[in-house]
Amino acid sequence: MWTKKRQPARLGLAAAAVAVALVAAACGSGGGGGTGGSGSVTGTPKHGGALTVLEGSGFAGQWPAGLDPATNTNGAANQPYMDSIYGQMFELGSKGKIIPDLATGYKFSNGGKTVTISLRHGVNFTDGTPFNADAVVWNIKRDLKSPCTCKPTWPIASIKAIGSDQVQINLATVFAPIIASFIDSTADWIASPTAVKKLGEKQFRLHPVGAGPFMVASNTPNSVLVLKRNPHYWQPGRPYLDKLTFKSVGSDEAAYEAMLAGEGQVYEDMSTPDLLKQAAQHFHVQNQLSTSPYDLQFNTAIPPFNNIKARLAIYYATDFRPILQHIFHNLYPMTQSFTAPGGICYQQQVPGYPAYNLAKAKALVKQIGGLNVQLGTINVLVAKETTQALQTEWAKAGIKTTIHSWDLGPLIQQFTGGKWQAMIQTAGAYDPAVGVGVGFRFNSKSPFSGVHDPHLDSLLGQAAGTLDMGQRCKLYGQAAQYIAQKAYGPFYFSFAPANIAAKNVVGPGLTSPLSSVVVTPNVPYEDVALTS
Amino acid sequence: MTAEAGAAAAGPSSHWGPAAPAAGAVLRSPMLRLVGRRLLAAIPVLWGVTLLTFAVMNVLPGDAAQQLLGANATPAEVHALEVKLHLNEPFWVRYGHWLGAAVTGHLGSSIQSGQTVTSTLAQRLPLSIELLAYVFLLTIVISVPLAVLAARKPGGVTDRLSMMLSMGGLSIAPYVLALLLVLVFAVILRVFPAIGYVSPGESIPGNIRSLTLPAISIGFPVACVYTRLLRADIVEQMQSEDYVITARAKGVSQWQILVRHVLRNSVFGLITLIGLNLGTLVGALVIIEPIFSLPGIGQALLQAINSRDIPVAEAVTLVFAVVVVLANLLTDLLYAVLDPRIRYGRPTA
Amino acid sequence: MAAPLPDSTLFAPAAGAAAFTAERPRRRAYNLDIWIPAAILVIIFAGCFLWPLIGPVPPPVGGSILSAGAPMFSPGHFLGTDPVGNDIFSRILYGGQVSMEVALAVNAIGLVIGGGLGSIAGYAGGIVDAVIMRVIDVLIAFPFLVLALAISQGLGPNERDVIWALSFFSVPAFARISRAGTLRLHGQTFMLAARLSGTRPWRMLLRHVTPNVMPQVATFALLGMGVTVILEGALDFLGLGIPDPSPSWGNMIALGQGTLSAQPSLVVVPSVFLFVTVVALNLLGDALRARWGTQ
Repeated sequence: MWTKKRQPARLGLAAAAVAVALVAAACGSGGGGGTGGSGSVTGTPKHGGALTVLEGSGFAGQWPAGLDPATNTNGAANQPYMDSIYGQMFELGSKGKIIPDLATGYKFSNGGKTVTISLRHGVNFTDGTPFNADAVVWNIKRDLKSPCTCKPTWPIASIKAIGSDQVQINLATVFAPIIASFIDSTADWIASPTAVKKLGEKQFRLHPVGAGPFMVASNTPNSVLVLKRNPHYWQPGRPYLDKLTFKSVGSDEAAYEAMLAGEGQVYEDMSTPDLLKQAAQHFHVQNQLSTSPYDLQFNTAIPPFNNIKARLAIYYATDFRPILQHIFHNLYPMTQSFTAPGGICYQQQVPGYPAYNLAKAKALVKQIGGLNVQLGTINVLVAKETTQALQTEWAKAGIKTTIHSWDLGPLIQQFTGGKWQAMIQTAGAYDPAVGVGVGFRFNSKSPFSGVHDPHLDSLLGQAAGTLDMGQRCKLYGQAAQYIAQKAYGPFYFSFAPANIAAKNVVGPGLTSPLSSVVVTPNVPYEDVALTS
Repeated sequence: MTAEAGAAAAGPSSHWGPAAPAAGAVLRSPMLRLVGRRLLAAIPVLWGVTLLTFAVMNVLPGDAAQQLLGANATPAEVHALEVKLHLNEPFWVRYGHWLGAAVTGHLGSSIQSGQTVTSTLAQRLPLSIELLAYVFLLTIVISVPLAVLAARKPGGVTDRLSMMLSMGGLSIAPYVLALLLVLVFAVILRVFPAIGYVSPGESIPGNIRSLTLPAISIGFPVACVYTRLLRADIVEQMQSEDYVITARAKGVSQWQILVRHVLRNSVFGLITLIGLNLGTLVGALVIIEPIFSLPGIGQALLQAINSRDIPVAEAVTLVFAVVVVLANLLTDLLYAVLDPRIRYGRPTA
Repeated sequence: MAAPLPDSTLFAPAAGAAAFTAERPRRRAYNLDIWIPAAILVIIFAGCFLWPLIGPVPPPVGGSILSAGAPMFSPGHFLGTDPVGNDIFSRILYGGQVSMEVALAVNAIGLVIGGGLGSIAGYAGGIVDAVIMRVIDVLIAFPFLVLALAISQGLGPNERDVIWALSFFSVPAFARISRAGTLRLHGQTFMLAARLSGTRPWRMLLRHVTPNVMPQVATFALLGMGVTVILEGALDFLGLGIPDPSPSWGNMIALGQGTLSAQPSLVVVPSVFLFVTVVALNLLGDALRARWGTQ
């Protein structure tokens, strides 16, 4: 429910998620099926061995604030590490399916206002202390108290342990996506309370202790994180790997070169289409199920896009097909709404969506006496290329465009400064109500929204407060239609970056598709193995 | 190396000053006076660097609190954290706090990671020092033989070839060189890693291999510069120095004069020059370390600036500045030891 | 930084080049060592600044996405097109303009401000010298990248700010050179004569010091331009230089780096132009130094 108290999107992982979203947008990489990679995966998983995973320093490869769930503001980007160290309460499988992990299930009661989560029994943290309901409650309370906005943003009334294996959360209002929202919030990661108290927060964030499949061997922030197998992991036979190393790399190109030189077996989130083609010759390229379409946001609070005619002119002037073809090599499906193949309520076509029509665009531009646009995006190669291509296209309709690109920090300032006009971003999530979901870009209260429309707010709020899935999807359909009708933001295609893996590696997300959490999927490294 | 060449390259220009003023200082030894002067002169320089860094970091839009909390933070939340981190206090107060602590050896903790700056440096400095040492070695190994071969017969084929090579080398951009090296030696030939650092503890050969391409990227253009300097110096000495003429008159062979006498003089000058340049070479780390994903202090500086992490940025710039200042001092001292023609009078740059 | 040593690269080629040519025969038939690099530079300058005015050169930005990714020697696109359809040859020409404008401006600023400060310091000596040189020392000891970052993130990167950022390091370099040159004049008889005849300090600086120091500083500026072209690219590499999509050779390399293994020509072509220009500048500076006998 988007009541007054609620933060727009959960986005605990705020900055990171934003980053992600933007990057994603930016990156515009690997989603679709096109590149395909080296075909089918063969070989049986074997136990043991060491794997080096490369992570781009623009996104996952930065963990400046450490790896404590309550203080890591880069959490959304750092999911590979966090998941490996802490495990997850709930995991996101393929097609937006939620799989219990350290939790074993949940049930709604009290008309949807009470959620009871049951926990896996007999699990210990790697310091030997028990993972139980008290630990979960302690963590979530700590997350809620943290000064960071990465805390869970549920409309929470109270939380308590019931026995040692159940946690009860009482909500002020019904919040349908509460379980989905675990996955991209800090609530998904349960730290050992004993270790936090013993080490102190400063040390803990460098040497975190959880109940996940791996434990920290060494940590050089933003550069290298070495993990070793947790011998007492709850799931028998997992993890496969003895040692898991994450290394930060400067760019897709550098990562690709490093993979060729044999210095890494996996690279997550490859987003440069030209390199995907190359990579497919040597590695397995795993395209993911996108959950976050590219969209163009308008700042409807200020000219020129406070005028619906200006917004419509952009809708009509944009033909994304040549851009999709030439820059993105047709890797992704076109879409007209904030839903995508990897998430729930996917709806590709939106009735009444204003499609490309150059004559109409020209007429509108003439009618409003010309149109000058400041178009921005994140400082990532394909995103910048996309803005350049749009600039050229729009020029045909008489629209004059100045393009900008910013690094994440300055980009956020553009949004908070409120002077921006149009931005290429991604919007959407596996559940539209969580993460960089539709509210993140279109809800009045989100700092990343350019739309301030109470009707849209209430549609999205109703959807979030509806437990029945069919009914929810219907509401999102209405929201998409309303966005198109008001010309609040054109959607282009469903994007998700690809993962690259050496041919002797097998695992979900690496050799089979997963849904994206915050633009990128969470690879469960306990299930990743080398093949014999 | 002649005093001129050294001066042109280094800037210790004191030997053009007037003769040493009448003594009267307690310390009569010119050497000690020089050290004392230079150390005293270093204090305002180092202070200026810390102040400038603080000021620059302060001017940058956005602050650490905003960066830490992320985009969704409300102004109140940001403010609360600023109070907690003392970021809301006036510039001079914060700088005063920092300076007071720094003078007593407390460099504080990273705002982002909470790691103490000392341990950040301890984690990252060895790599950068090792890389610079490698660069140093490399420049000697490249420039000495090349210069000697060239100087043996000035104007000859070898001379022209090596001068062409070195002109090309010193004109190449290090980042372009880095890309080329990675493409050829990592991607195509696969003899050196493209990225990453292997610590000596893990594997010594691996360690050397991991630093080879970065060291060449930084060192080769520099080595080319030195080759030309060294060759010129050797040629000049061979033509004009008295001891060369004497030795030649005594019938010592050209080659022997070159290697036994001239080279010894020249190489010493070269080493001091390289040592001096190490100070400015640290800047190259900022570009080259990220290209090769090396977790050194160059990378740390870049990250610290981007996350507005003042304590880390201060510490790294301070390290850079200390290296520059010390290298300058050492070079001057070496010149003084070596070259009695140099007198120390005026306070020098 | 970038190139790889801001200070010493600026100095070192100068010193190295000068030393090399010092003992060469001063007068050579036709002065090929001067004319060849000069001719190369003239061709590059004229190509970049004049050819876009008279030749059929498409604009460097705003190309059609439909002509994206054309290979070299495609009809109408001599050097091919980039991933958004801009003509690469055009980007090389316009990018060269930017690279050379920056190089000229940075060295002009260094020459005027740095050269002036250095001469004043060297001539005045004493406390003036100490204060000026201490400030110069701070600038040299300060990683200039930090300043460049601040300027770029604070002001938003554009050509003018790139020039200012790079000047922060050309000024100290010129100051040191001109101070050294000025100090060398101290013992000269004409200086003594002028001073004894009561010439005022400012007049001394303008009439006697400047003309004597100038050749040295001016040839240094040629070598400095080579370094500046490289450094400008280094800023682009860190995302602090000329903002896309406007081209400079440096940011073309930096952009192309992102797909180096897929399309190496995007990096190779601007790199070649950058390299040839820097070599020509260094050769010319080197030859002129030898010619004018300034070390």
